[in-house]
Amino acid sequence: MREIQPTRSELLEVTRKIRLTQNGHKILKLKRDGLILEFFKILDQAKDLRLEIAKRFREASEKIAIASAVDGVIAVRSASYALTGHPEIQLRSRNLMGVVVPEIKSSKIVAPIYERGYGIIGTSPRIDEATDAFEKLVETVVKAAELETTMKKLLEEIERTKRRVNALEFRVLPDLEEIERFIRFRLEEMERDNIFRLKRIKGKMAKAAEA
Amino acid sequence: MEIAVVGSEEFVVGFRLAGIKKVYAVTPDKLLDTIVKVLDDQAVGILAVHTPDLDRLPAQLRERMMESVNPVVIPVGVEEGDMRDKVRRAMGIDLYKSR
Repeated sequence: MREIQPTRSELLEVTRKIRLTQNGHKILKLKRDGLILEFFKILDQAKDLRLEIAKRFREASEKIAIASAVDGVIAVRSASYALTGHPEIQLRSRNLMGVVVPEIKSSKIVAPIYERGYGIIGTSPRIDEATDAFEKLVETVVKAAELETTMKKLLEEIERTKRRVNALEFRVLPDLEEIERFIRFRLEEMERDNIFRLKRIKGKMAKAAEA
Repeated sequence: MEIAVVGSEEFVVGFRLAGIKKVYAVTPDKLLDTIVKVLDDQAVGILAVHTPDLDRLPAQLRERMMESVNPVVIPVGVEEGDMRDKVRRAMGIDLYKSR
């Protein structure tokens, strides 16, 4: 506080900074609220997908356990090694309130039995069912990946924006207002000093004129 | 990009059936090294891990996996996942509580 020059130009500069900070604070608060709204839009979908993953995994695990028990682990493994198609994913990005979030597109995951690569007659329906269940699980995992990445990025941005809003509200603005108060006080003090000095000079001049 | 799965043989065999190429069947002592390797693999976009395996990992690596966006780590076999803590930290309230 001691380095601040209590001048009118400094006061104008501080007042300008306060206005700028207040504007920034308002805009950041709007951004934070917008991000929170976007976050709430996808939160329920993400929760549902998470439940779906757990459900599909339970189903798929049951089916593969039955296939392994009835047809044997070797049969299941050999079918899994015979597969020809492999799903791939493409990552694209889109902008959501200034946050770059991914869009995940996958190549066909659920394939008909005749496209899987293992012989239709060579495997049992139990292995086919297990494959089907796992393909659906992978499809859900891909959907969840997109949503969860979006959620993670939004949460990071919300946290960052909240920190900025709080810093402006509780640190930067109060400091600037304190400086403004200090300069105003000092200027008033200097003005009072000046008036008092002028009055004394006037008194002295009046006395000198009388004498 | 590809999908990768890391876990025990029983966990990964089904994913291999679904056509996933990057499937790593590992014993618990190799789990950590394999996950670190997959996390550093630029070709992997999604990593699926069995939740009980995830609980066995050191907290620091779990945190890294939770924050990771490329690849996105999806714990399979649990209804809440790693998002609950993250949401609670960022929003200040537990939005998963109602479930």
